[in-house]
Amino acid sequence: MTSRPFHFLIAFASGCLLTFMLLFNGTLAIYGTLLLSSWVPHATGTVAALLILLVLRPKRASLQSPPLWSYLGGISGALTVVATSYTMNTALAISGTIAIGLAGQLIFSVIADARGMFGFTKRLPTMRDILAIVFITAGALVLILFGAAP
Amino acid sequence: MTLSVTLAFIAGALIILSRQINGRLAQSTSAMESSFWNHIVGLAALTLFAIIFGGLFTQGAKDAPWWAYLGGIFGVMFIASGSWLIARIGAANTTIMIIAGQMISGVAFDIVMGTAGNLWARVIGVALIFVGMWFATNKR
Repeated sequence: MTSRPFHFLIAFASGCLLTFMLLFNGTLAIYGTLLLSSWVPHATGTVAALLILLVLRPKRASLQSPPLWSYLGGISGALTVVATSYTMNTALAISGTIAIGLAGQLIFSVIADARGMFGFTKRLPTMRDILAIVFITAGALVLILFGAAP
Repeated sequence: MTLSVTLAFIAGALIILSRQINGRLAQSTSAMESSFWNHIVGLAALTLFAIIFGGLFTQGAKDAPWWAYLGGIFGVMFIASGSWLIARIGAANTTIMIIAGQMISGVAFDIVMGTAGNLWARVIGVALIFVGMWFATNKR
């Protein structure tokens, strides 16, 4: 609990990574298809992760092997790509896809925490948690829906 | 419209589902190993999709600048940190702080690059996010 601000800083920093990832993948999408702009980073990411693993050789946290389904997170990620590449070409466009996607992320996050899904610690949102979600969502929506040049 | 709204919502939920599953894998292995499996399994799934439905390669793709092919490096760090964080601060905290980071860095990036934007929306949006982060991080 003492290192909480540190964890929050890491989460904020990894959000910043997304801006760079979007710049790279978005540039690729200008030249290629949306599918390519997700397939390529999955390929280069696989190689990068493999190299990092070979160099750092992190120890496995547990001697017990993980459940087989826990290897399938990438399927869920790939389905996200497929779903959003469809919705971006509908009336929702990019801003609508992101705005509604935010709702999906937040609502599912709160449910996952409240139920302790996949064996993680159960967490019910406090009043402060709810206020944090409301303010950050509001700010994000203002930027997504009205942030572009008038 | 109902279909696309539903799909966009599900797409958001799937991002979190993926982070939960990767987080579970990281608890038995390591954050970086879970990121590796996420990428190679996702690559296999997208390859299968491309084989069945096509739409992967176009003529222009080879004209893209070389660095545009390296976005995966950020993706690897992103998935690894998400897997690591979810066991420590939970899904909701991880999600809101990532969204905050993405939004604020996005505005900063646009300003640095001189991308035109609505000044008031930027000021109000960023201010709301800072208030939200204050609530998220100050818990007695």
